[in-house]
Amino acid sequence: MTDDIDKDEERALTAEYILGLLTDDERTAYEEVLAIDPDLRSEYAFFADRMVALTDDIAPVTPPAGLFGAIKADLFGTPKSDRATSKARSWLERLGLFPAMAGGVVAAVAVLWAVNLYVPGAPTGDGPAISAPTLQAQIAAEDDSLIVMASYDATAQTLVLDRTAGTARDGRSLELWLIADDNPPVSLGVLPDTQAGTIAVDPALVPALPGGVLAITDEPQGGSPTGGPTGDVLAAGPLTQT
Amino acid sequence: MTTTADIEDMIARMAMGDRAAFEGLYNATSAKLFGVCLRVLGNRAEAEDALQEAFVKIWRNADRYRVNGLSPMTWLITVTRNHSVDRVRARKSKQGAGLDEAAEIADSKPGPEALAMASSDRVRIVDCMGQLDPDKAGAVRRAYLEGETYQELADHYDVPLNTVRTWLRRSLLKLRECLSHDG
Repeated sequence: MTDDIDKDEERALTAEYILGLLTDDERTAYEEVLAIDPDLRSEYAFFADRMVALTDDIAPVTPPAGLFGAIKADLFGTPKSDRATSKARSWLERLGLFPAMAGGVVAAVAVLWAVNLYVPGAPTGDGPAISAPTLQAQIAAEDDSLIVMASYDATAQTLVLDRTAGTARDGRSLELWLIADDNPPVSLGVLPDTQAGTIAVDPALVPALPGGVLAITDEPQGGSPTGGPTGDVLAAGPLTQT
Repeated sequence: MTTTADIEDMIARMAMGDRAAFEGLYNATSAKLFGVCLRVLGNRAEAEDALQEAFVKIWRNADRYRVNGLSPMTWLITVTRNHSVDRVRARKSKQGAGLDEAAEIADSKPGPEALAMASSDRVRIVDCMGQLDPDKAGAVRRAYLEGETYQELADHYDVPLNTVRTWLRRSLLKLRECLSHDG
């Protein structure tokens, strides 16, 4: 008799657990027993295996083509927890750039570590200076033939640029792009010819900077005539907070 | 045709870090699992996010699949369904109570596309559900396929929460009893 009641209680709890009807406390308690009680596990497996047949009449729907790439990027991409970055990656993959970037990021980690002094406004060691987090990126080609350090100056709303390697080809321009979420690249402007320079950032784009990716393409002189990138992607790097 | 043994094998290889096996599993099961996400969430963009997150979980937990005793498709669908339900509930708690849009999604009729992996004892649940009151069977479906809570079921059937819990538990026991008779 008591056994029957216990059996019924066990079965009812198992069904409620499978349906997700238990409270948080009840669920935790159930899982603790489940972990150590083989009888409860077989009851759970029995009911779950049958309940799942309620999904048999759900028609399969092919997911969008890029989804597996996004999953792989989440799991195996460079260690970035930011979801926006993983979505931006799907764009980079479409641009054929992702492998180049993955290598670039590894290099960037080493380089940023070495060039931390680059951060504009970073405390210089005199007293307890406190600065807001700074967004910066190392936009680097796979073979380091083009390297641009970018740092966002929130006060001036400009990207401060320092091109430490590479130049535009004769009669061509280097154009800087922001890739955020799954959106098409947005032009930030043509890179100045000088090694150091700044590019003003449209205030509307500022919220998209954290977690975004900066990329540089080879474009006709004066910049892309179409509003989107037309030439090769030469370099890219994620914007990270320091 | 991908068999249960194939899927089990792919999960086992994933547990050892085999990414090709993961891709094979994705190709074999993602359409079914995306269907489940769409059914629970009723929204394509959310379903895509849910599927992506579910596969991340599946990869990460592949090494723990063995111990739970579930058949491989049950495990994959359960991970996906539970993740989608979590999302539905998070969405509802953000929007506030009282939304009932999901109820508008009609139950689809069993179609020829029912998974080849379905075994006869699983199909038996259809018979057993048919032996419940239509209201009770409907409540089981709403809980499983739409992630409805006791509170939502109580609101829907316009009965007190304790009452709905009592009658649903009774129905689940009846369902369980029916399932244990060999079909």
